[in-house]
Amino acid sequence: MAATRRLQKELSDLRASAMKNFTNIQVDEANILTWQGLILPDDPPYNKGAFRIEINFPAEYPFKPPRINFKTKIYHPNIDEKGQVCLAIISAENWKPATKTDQVIQALIALVNDPEPEHPLRADLAEEFLKDRRKFFKNAEEFTKKHAEKRRESASAE
Amino acid sequence: MSQCEVEAATPGFHQLSITIEAAVLRNSSFLKPNPYVELSVDDKSPRKTEIAKSTYQPKWVEKFTILVTPYSQLHFRLLDHSTFRRDALIGEKRINLFQVLSYYNGKLDNVELTLDLMSENKHDAYGPLSKVGELVTLFDGLKIDMNEVIPSNSCEQVRHNQVTSGALTPLGSSNSDSGNNRSILNGGVRARMRLHGSENAAPSVMQPVMHRSSTNILHNPSHTASQPSNNTNNAQIVGLTSPMANGVGNHLATESSSGSTGPPLGQPASAGPSGVPGETENGNQPEEPLPAGWEMRYDVYGRRYYVDHNTRSTSWERPQPLPPGWEVRRDPRGRIYYVDHNTRSTTWQRPNTERLQHFQHWQGERQHVVQQGNQRFLYPQAHGGQAAVAGLSTAVVEEDDALGPLPAGWERRKQPEGRVYYVNHKNRTTQWEDPRTQGQETGMDEPPLPDGWEIRLTEDGVRYFVDHNSRTTTFQDPRPGAPKGPKGVYGVPKAYERSFRWKLSQFRYLCHSNALPSHIKISVTRQTLFEDSYHQIMRLPAYELRRRLYIIFKGEEGLDYGGVSREWFFLLSHEVLNPMYCLFEYANKSNYSLQINPASYVNPDHLQYFKFIGRFIAMALYHGRFIYSGFTMPFYKRMLNKKLIMKDIESIDPEFYNSLVWIKDNNIDDCGLELYYSVDFEILGQVIHHELKDGGDKIRVVEENKEEYMRLMTEWRMTRGIEEQTKAFLEGFNEVVPLEWLKYFDERELELMLCGMQEIDVDDWQRNAIYRHYTRSSKQVLWFWQFVRTTDSEKRARLLQFVTGTCRVPVGGFAELMGSNGPQRFCIEKVGKDTWLPRSHTCFNRLDLPPYKSYDQMVEKLNYAIEETEGFGQE
Repeated sequence: MAATRRLQKELSDLRASAMKNFTNIQVDEANILTWQGLILPDDPPYNKGAFRIEINFPAEYPFKPPRINFKTKIYHPNIDEKGQVCLAIISAENWKPATKTDQVIQALIALVNDPEPEHPLRADLAEEFLKDRRKFFKNAEEFTKKHAEKRRESASAE
Repeated sequence: MSQCEVEAATPGFHQLSITIEAAVLRNSSFLKPNPYVELSVDDKSPRKTEIAKSTYQPKWVEKFTILVTPYSQLHFRLLDHSTFRRDALIGEKRINLFQVLSYYNGKLDNVELTLDLMSENKHDAYGPLSKVGELVTLFDGLKIDMNEVIPSNSCEQVRHNQVTSGALTPLGSSNSDSGNNRSILNGGVRARMRLHGSENAAPSVMQPVMHRSSTNILHNPSHTASQPSNNTNNAQIVGLTSPMANGVGNHLATESSSGSTGPPLGQPASAGPSGVPGETENGNQPEEPLPAGWEMRYDVYGRRYYVDHNTRSTSWERPQPLPPGWEVRRDPRGRIYYVDHNTRSTTWQRPNTERLQHFQHWQGERQHVVQQGNQRFLYPQAHGGQAAVAGLSTAVVEEDDALGPLPAGWERRKQPEGRVYYVNHKNRTTQWEDPRTQGQETGMDEPPLPDGWEIRLTEDGVRYFVDHNSRTTTFQDPRPGAPKGPKGVYGVPKAYERSFRWKLSQFRYLCHSNALPSHIKISVTRQTLFEDSYHQIMRLPAYELRRRLYIIFKGEEGLDYGGVSREWFFLLSHEVLNPMYCLFEYANKSNYSLQINPASYVNPDHLQYFKFIGRFIAMALYHGRFIYSGFTMPFYKRMLNKKLIMKDIESIDPEFYNSLVWIKDNNIDDCGLELYYSVDFEILGQVIHHELKDGGDKIRVVEENKEEYMRLMTEWRMTRGIEEQTKAFLEGFNEVVPLEWLKYFDERELELMLCGMQEIDVDDWQRNAIYRHYTRSSKQVLWFWQFVRTTDSEKRARLLQFVTGTCRVPVGGFAELMGSNGPQRFCIEKVGKDTWLPRSHTCFNRLDLPPYKSYDQMVEKLNYAIEETEGFGQE
């Protein structure tokens, strides 16, 4: 398969580099077009939990960008209730076939750490983020506690 | 699988020839098998094929003549030859000849049977059989009078199937006797008639099926494909297969593919963005019970799929119960179709919410269709004014000239007074022009060029001028009075106006001079417009379609003096869009242009339909009628037999195009692209793999060979999944109007001719425009609108076509203009220098307008950009 070799290479590079904020990478050997993993943002209010994401690569990868979905619920202006996220690096206009998945993940983690309320998917949260930062943080922290997966300290060493 | 026991007295023997052609086997162990087939009749006298060496896709093409009775049981066993142990059974299939015979009414004449090879499940002796591959065979030369054969009871069902045919059958199933259609005879056997003389040409329907089986096989590595019959060898085989069989235990429980009900093929739809992951998996929504006859299963990877035991098919999508008023039926050949009693229509595809939404949207549009039709126009037709070629004539002996032979079916003849003309026997037309040079520059009455100048053609046949004195090139004709020349009332160069009119009148002249006397009646009902039109148009010899048309809508008064046929063309062209037929789709959600749907093969008769649509479109051009919606520019180019270039991809798949451009513009060595000369794409959830050239899977793309790679990718991207459909379309077209007649036009003119022009509401256009790096009151923006307002309708339509890819405005006006990623307003962006030509991005409805220094300069540049086609984005 055309996309397979590229993805195998990316996957082994990614595993070898052992990113500390993207762990538990799971890929079904039979379907390399779907990856799952946990992202561990550094900054509050998300730094207490782990968030599961799924990356779906199209058959035409790398001619077409992958799509990212959050499987863990998250309280974030740029991620909607269905887990969809709008990330510039994988948009139709910006996508380049040389963009690697680790760059995409880094961009995603950066977005989680630093919400962009000017391009929200959830306008209500963006408004709260801008108008009442403290309340937003409190809500987001509680939400994280309730829905996010637990972080094992050792997980980051994996 | 009902067994027909031999219970009648031994009837006479008959001769039957069976060709064992090929097989596709699951690729399940590291050692490729050496397959051969053993065929026995009633468990006697086995015959063997040659042994194919080390392959999962053996081909034998060996013919056996055997003696059979109508009740004979044929036993096909596919074995793996081994030099050092007993040959192992890979899979087998028993078929009852009676079933096949009764299906084909006693006559087996070039019938292809595809058999599912089954193997006992090693781990569960009582469990169902599993499919390990497919065997393709050809039955020929047997003819038995079925009245003399007494059916055994257990075969009643088969005959019953033959008889039950509802009043409503899907399109065309009634008239396609020779078709490429497969039908399911009984578990795991598919049959179809082959046309004589086409044995080797794999029909379109078959290819996906073959692909299917191989993907299916790939996805089921746990099957015990090469289960040896001799237990002592088990250890070795198990040892070889075990690395792949991780977690055998858990999939075996779910694995029970019987016949065609294996897991669905290829990737699940949820891999794409459209799937709504999370929701169903998290169980947020209570799931409705499955419809009767459906079952949920898990494949070997734990993915859910759904088995429909009614139709013996599988799907990744959870079935939705049929909407009210819908019903499942089976046609005489056992194929499933769906009847919508609400609209009294039928379709091959199971309706789901999305499809029904499309349908409703499509029907909503239908109201506007006629209204739109009345707004379209083109120039009043300039009649050739000359009578058709008359008088006696003689065939001219073929002389060799520099242009090479005439196209197939053409002949050169001479009139009594010596004037040469050309006869096209395919569609019975004649013309003065040599078809080999038709549409090329006439050049006859043009004034000479200044010294040192030369005319050349671009790759796409656009004329440009080389000035050897100054070593420059330009599109501008240097001769005084040429295209730049005097302007008409609307400020359009007269020469240009003349040229499109001239071309049209040439074309019209050809139509008139090949008109046939009298008329043909086409009588249709509005509710069954497509079917009625299809049957009547395909029943007639194609050249008859050039007679005057007399269209009758049944039950409606009104003589067809033109108005009725105008309406018929418009309505029927809209009807081909009906999502129920799956023939066309909107290109890339944008600009309402049509392209062939690569998944059209879900309609087993799709090629016949494309041929029909080809005839119909040719009729529209021939009779000077408009159709509702046009095709994509690349499709018109294909009709004109023009070479498709990378830029053409932009209008149908901008993401793909951008990636190709990136590869073109960057040094690709050392950036880890990991590209090879092979490519995948997905149709209906099935991934199809393609090597761009022989052994392409092993050839890496590097800076040095990327030009070739891009060329092959472009070719592939523009034709993938639609080649056969396009051919059928062109064939149908050419039967009515020779494709050579189109050569006067470029693709944009073809669209104008076919769709006509529409009065464009400039106020609405301007109101809904947006700007980048310009403002509403920028000088250039004001000039632009001044130009739009002062120019004529044709130029306006062409300008719109240049920017949006089509000359048509959406029903809701410019506010509803769509781009490739949803709504996209008309946009003018400041780009480049004043020496550049304007450029367009049709997928974003954007015009790159350089900051020109004067109104005149802008008008000149815009005119060039609009008239000259692609390839020369800037000077």
